[in-house]
Amino acid sequence: MTAWLSFVAIGVLASLAGALWRVWRGPAPADRMMAAQLVGTGGVAVLILLAAVQDWAALDVAVALALLAALAAVGFVKAGTPDGAGDPEEEAPPADMQLSAMTPDAAAQVGRTRRDPDRRRGDG
Amino acid sequence: MTAALGLALDAALCALILGVALAVVAGRGVFRAVVFFIVYGLLAAVAWVRLDAVNVALAEAAIGAGLTGVLLLAAHGRLRRAEAAQDLAHGMPWSAALAGGALAAALGWAWFEMPIPVEPGPELAEALPRAGVGNPVTAVLLNFRAWDTLLESIVLLAALIGVWMLAREGDWREPLGRPQHARPGGVMAGFGRVLPPVGLLVGVWLVWAGADHPGGAFQGGTVLAAVGLVAVLAGVIRPPWIGAPLWQGALVLGPAVFLLAGIAGAVLAGGFLTLPEGFAKPAIVTIEVALTVSIAVTLAFLVLGPPEAEGAG
Repeated sequence: MTAWLSFVAIGVLASLAGALWRVWRGPAPADRMMAAQLVGTGGVAVLILLAAVQDWAALDVAVALALLAALAAVGFVKAGTPDGAGDPEEEAPPADMQLSAMTPDAAAQVGRTRRDPDRRRGDG
Repeated sequence: MTAALGLALDAALCALILGVALAVVAGRGVFRAVVFFIVYGLLAAVAWVRLDAVNVALAEAAIGAGLTGVLLLAAHGRLRRAEAAQDLAHGMPWSAALAGGALAAALGWAWFEMPIPVEPGPELAEALPRAGVGNPVTAVLLNFRAWDTLLESIVLLAALIGVWMLAREGDWREPLGRPQHARPGGVMAGFGRVLPPVGLLVGVWLVWAGADHPGGAFQGGTVLAAVGLVAVLAGVIRPPWIGAPLWQGALVLGPAVFLLAGIAGAVLAGGFLTLPEGFAKPAIVTIEVALTVSIAVTLAFLVLGPPEAEGAG
């Protein structure tokens, strides 16, 4: 059983190499960040397997990692907003502009400008 | 068979860590290096588990994959907005490479020169039953070598004061960090309400479990700081200003309780920071809880940074 679990852990680790290739390649910052999140998910899987192989206390590490890996994603979307403190779901100027109060054309316009940052190649 | 598979697992892990470390320093692009560094922290946590150092793995997971990532991503975003995130010109920054290589060589030499420690140490095994707690790491940190831990908790506070020195005079009474905002009812605001309760539970568990299992004040405090940051970033709670009395109290609670316990030890027991055998467990748990509060608040404030009013660069 232990051998089998170790074997699966090696397999999961090997699959992480694919995610790492995506972090290297990009091209958009969001691609790299999502790949890092994938590594986080794989890391949690490896830790759960190691917990079964070695020491169940390692399960706490898996829980902490699962909880905190998402923090980087929050930091990433924050840093991508114009003032670095916003939310991509907000309208472009944080002053209370509501989508519902606009004409459909204006709303579509806001939608387009909001999507623009995702397409930017960044520095990567 | 099992041993061979364990070796293969370690080899795969080492290859990944070395590859990621190379990608951090060798690849061009600041953002790519930041993302690789986050991945590096994650893999390092797995490596610590492989080495049976679950306490260190917990700290690495919380600091490396959690707080450092947010800090670096925010720094990169700020540099990009200031249009300062210019990538280095082609070619190698030789002086930095040389300094880094020399440091790595020195550390490697030290590692080979050091005598192999006798684990877990006969003195520790003999003294552990008198420490009041079952986790040897906690016993060393809070009983046998409490002096180090006390000073470390004060160092953390000094670092925070250093960061606050960067505040501009006019921002002094503003809330810490930049004013965070998110769309009410949006994904981020919802995330900021869902994650913190779960994190609170895990953080408190890590502190409580730290007495007899891996965990402790630093690990639990880091998790609490991280989920508190999520709530702040999502605009759910507003950070206080520097002079808020309750928060200042939280910052000094840990070192203060630690110092008081040390003085009580000097008066009642053998000497400063000596915990009498019968009271060791309650004393350690009390110090741990107080330290957790201070560590969580200090780390969260460190990541938030000095107060910056609206419109600051």
